[in-house]
Amino acid sequence: MNNRFFTSLAVRNIKSNQQLYVPYLLSSTAIITMFYLMSSLLTNKFVQERSSVLPTLFAMGTIVIGIFSFIFILYINSFLIKRRKKEIGLYGILGLEKKHVAKILFFETLITTFVSIAGALIVGQVFGRLFFMLLNYLLRLPTDINYSTSPMTALITAGLFAGVFAITYLYNVSQFTFANPIKLLKGKKEGEKEPKGSILLFILSLVLLGWGYGISLTIADPLSAISKFFLAVLLVIMGTYLLFITGSIYILKALKKNKRIYYRPGPFISISGMLYRMKQNAVGLANICILASMVIIAVSTTVTIFVGTEETLENRFPKENNMTLNGTDLSQEELNTQFVGLQGKFHEEAQKIELKVTDMESYRYLTVFGNLEGNRLVFEEGFPAANVPLYIQVLLLEDFNEMAGKQIELSNGEALYYHSKGALNQQNIVIGDQEFKLKEADYDFGGEAAIVTTMVLIVPELSQIEMISEIYQQELPQANPASIDAFIGWNTDGTNAQKKALGKQMKQLSSASESLSFESREAFREEWYSMNGGFLFLGIFLGLLFTIGTVLITYFKQVSEGFDDREKFQIMQKVGLDKDMIHESTRSQIVWMFLLPIVTATIHVIFAYPIVRKMLTVFGVTSEITWLLSFTGVVIAFGAIYWMIYRITSRVYYSIVK
Amino acid sequence: MALLEIKNLKKVYTARFSNQQTEALSTVNFSVEKGEFVSIMGESGSGKTTLLNIISTLDEATGGEVYLDGKPLSNIKDKEISAFRRNTLGFVFQDFNLLDNFTIKDNILLPLVLSKTPVAEMEERLIPIVRKLGIEAHINKYPYEVSGGQKQRVAVARALITQPKIILADEPTGALDSKASQNLMEILKGINETGQTILMVTHSTRAASFSSRVLFIRDGSVYHEIYRGEQTSDEFMERISQSLTVLSSRGGKDE
Ligand SMILES: Nc1ncnc2c1ncn2[C@@H]1O[C@H](COP(=O)(O)OP(=O)(O)OP(=O)(O)O)[C@@H](O)[C@H]1O
Ligand SMILES: [Mg+2]
Repeated sequence: MNNRFFTSLAVRNIKSNQQLYVPYLLSSTAIITMFYLMSSLLTNKFVQERSSVLPTLFAMGTIVIGIFSFIFILYINSFLIKRRKKEIGLYGILGLEKKHVAKILFFETLITTFVSIAGALIVGQVFGRLFFMLLNYLLRLPTDINYSTSPMTALITAGLFAGVFAITYLYNVSQFTFANPIKLLKGKKEGEKEPKGSILLFILSLVLLGWGYGISLTIADPLSAISKFFLAVLLVIMGTYLLFITGSIYILKALKKNKRIYYRPGPFISISGMLYRMKQNAVGLANICILASMVIIAVSTTVTIFVGTEETLENRFPKENNMTLNGTDLSQEELNTQFVGLQGKFHEEAQKIELKVTDMESYRYLTVFGNLEGNRLVFEEGFPAANVPLYIQVLLLEDFNEMAGKQIELSNGEALYYHSKGALNQQNIVIGDQEFKLKEADYDFGGEAAIVTTMVLIVPELSQIEMISEIYQQELPQANPASIDAFIGWNTDGTNAQKKALGKQMKQLSSASESLSFESREAFREEWYSMNGGFLFLGIFLGLLFTIGTVLITYFKQVSEGFDDREKFQIMQKVGLDKDMIHESTRSQIVWMFLLPIVTATIHVIFAYPIVRKMLTVFGVTSEITWLLSFTGVVIAFGAIYWMIYRITSRVYYSIVK
Repeated sequence: MALLEIKNLKKVYTARFSNQQTEALSTVNFSVEKGEFVSIMGESGSGKTTLLNIISTLDEATGGEVYLDGKPLSNIKDKEISAFRRNTLGFVFQDFNLLDNFTIKDNILLPLVLSKTPVAEMEERLIPIVRKLGIEAHINKYPYEVSGGQKQRVAVARALITQPKIILADEPTGALDSKASQNLMEILKGINETGQTILMVTHSTRAASFSSRVLFIRDGSVYHEIYRGEQTSDEFMERISQSLTVLSSRGGKDE
């Protein structure tokens, strides 16, 4: 018997098992497409260039999708092979040797591998391009984001999934090599058994989830958030699978024990059915739950970044016009005269094009880094440092009073302070040989928005700031000298076009001087919107991708279970099951099939909130309200979409079994 | 009045992809009194299963009528048909038709659960039946964990539990060996003796010899019947075999 014979046998088997193979091939193609598109984004220009964080995030995302698709393919394979046990057992009885059966399976696997990988690469190319086109059209960002992929990505995808299918092949062969034909003939009939040590596994699942959640809850700073996020995601994914497997079996068994619940037509049929294939059922639900969490996180974060653009701009640029006077090369007197002179000049410049300054903020400041040890301030160099130090700004009381609209007076040894973590315990602060009595400044400097912990000190005399600068110099002679700089920010009236014109003028003015630098919020607005629009684009793209994944998984689950259950429903109809009751039994699965994954996903996302929020500060988003609104919106929207998916696929299920 | 009355029943199958027609039943007339145990015999393809399926409302007749308790079955509305099947009829099939996702107990209770019977009543009915059928020890097992004979007794228990007016059995011993068949037939006979009406299709003369009357069906109509009367099982079996040989050798429909 040659290979040709086995190939044709394999082809025939696939054809005659169409009902099983069509959903199988569809789902595996879809999941590989998903991986392929995700890994193509890794080499995307936007991802590579926008932020150093993005390639890392997408690499992690690709790994997560890779692991997920591995589990998913094993899952659909187990459906397939279970339903084919009888057929393959028959080969044994008809006298085919095990190695021949293995050969038939080999060619079958080869064909399915080829079809789904080739299919995925083609679909990926087409789908990727089409969706990028569509999204570019819909979002109309100032600059289009282009779809790109590389032969390398395709090669990696093909290699990886060839490996995954090889594993399914080994699994299938082992199933048949170690089982006797009689057992195989019965194979489809036996229900699944509860996994051994399920209590331990249940505890393990809680530990994994707790650990993952714990990472998110205790995350200290945004920079470590990104690396730890990955670990947390993996822990939660593993925890979810174990929780669903052990938890759902436990709940189902408890429901079955409760005679009042169990012995009613709907639950009777659905609970027994789910217990019969408890592991498959649990893995299917966990798959849906994980995809749902991914959709919600991807879309809600990027929506937050996009919606929060205005706020981010305001955080980054406190005023429409922002001029910084660098004091490194200036003496104290020069700084003071320029500081006052510039303010007048800006009023004049605005007037020249018939605009009025509506609001101006100006202050002189010194920026240093250090740590509080007791009440002593120990200076440190700024970034990069292993432990991010405290970011300290020293301001002049006169400027502060003006800025805050206050009339506070300080005597010589006193200072006001602000700390982003709230009030300090210390009564005073020692800097070098200087000591200040501390009073809390009743003013919000918005330090919570900053990536690092911030402290502001306000002293009455410019000479005192100078002194602190000198002490810093003495303590850290090798560090860059800390200069006293000045900031002047102002808004004007007028149209956006006029404001832009003023921005251009100011830019020119600043480029004439070495120590001036200027930033206009208006000039950055467009750039920021296109950047953050890019995020939104990716978020929606991933959201769509995962939603399609959810559709296919739900569809696969319903179709394959439908074929599994068909015979049962036919028998039950013979002994008096009516169509209404079939409906009722599918309806009683709603809570289970619909609510369970969505609710668990929502819980996951709620726990992910702290770590995601920390990561978002890297992108400049700080508003809780924006986040909460977009999160709630996305959960509700996805819930609605999943509801539709669920309804449509359960109709498919119904039409199969009735 | 007879419990079951069949008048001029006719069934013609039309093939799905051609106009070729098969007349499975031409004109069937007979009736079954309450408490009778009637066997139907006949060659393969003579229309026995078709007849049983029409009586059990799984299939619709082309002409004629089936009356149960004097009421025509064709009057039952579509919506009520499942409930009718559940509450009035009991089925025993050749291939058992048990569900692998239910325990033996749940398989037996299935029709009662579908009728929304209170739990207490279900359990009250279950115990005496499983005891009588000798499957009490297995009620928490699954169908794939018990023997064929036990499976068929489970199916009988499922048919009995709704206290149906009539039990319809299509070759119940078809998949069983002679010992298990004997055991099953004794059980059916015992059930019949408590007043339960049974209508059974069978190929086995031994199985038929347990009943009180045998109908012979050929080419879609009943052409002969014999009563057991006072005969012993063995005598009755002898007569059934004789009838079969005589009738099949004679051929034609000239009764
Ligand atoms: N669904 C159908 N469509 C078309 N013809 C059918 C259908 N079911 C049965 N027949 C035909 O009707 C006739 C009677 O079939 P039936 O199944 O009633 O026979 P039977 O007496 O039960 O035979 P057996 O003893 O082999 O079970 C046969 O010729 C059969 O081919
Ligand atoms: Mg038949």
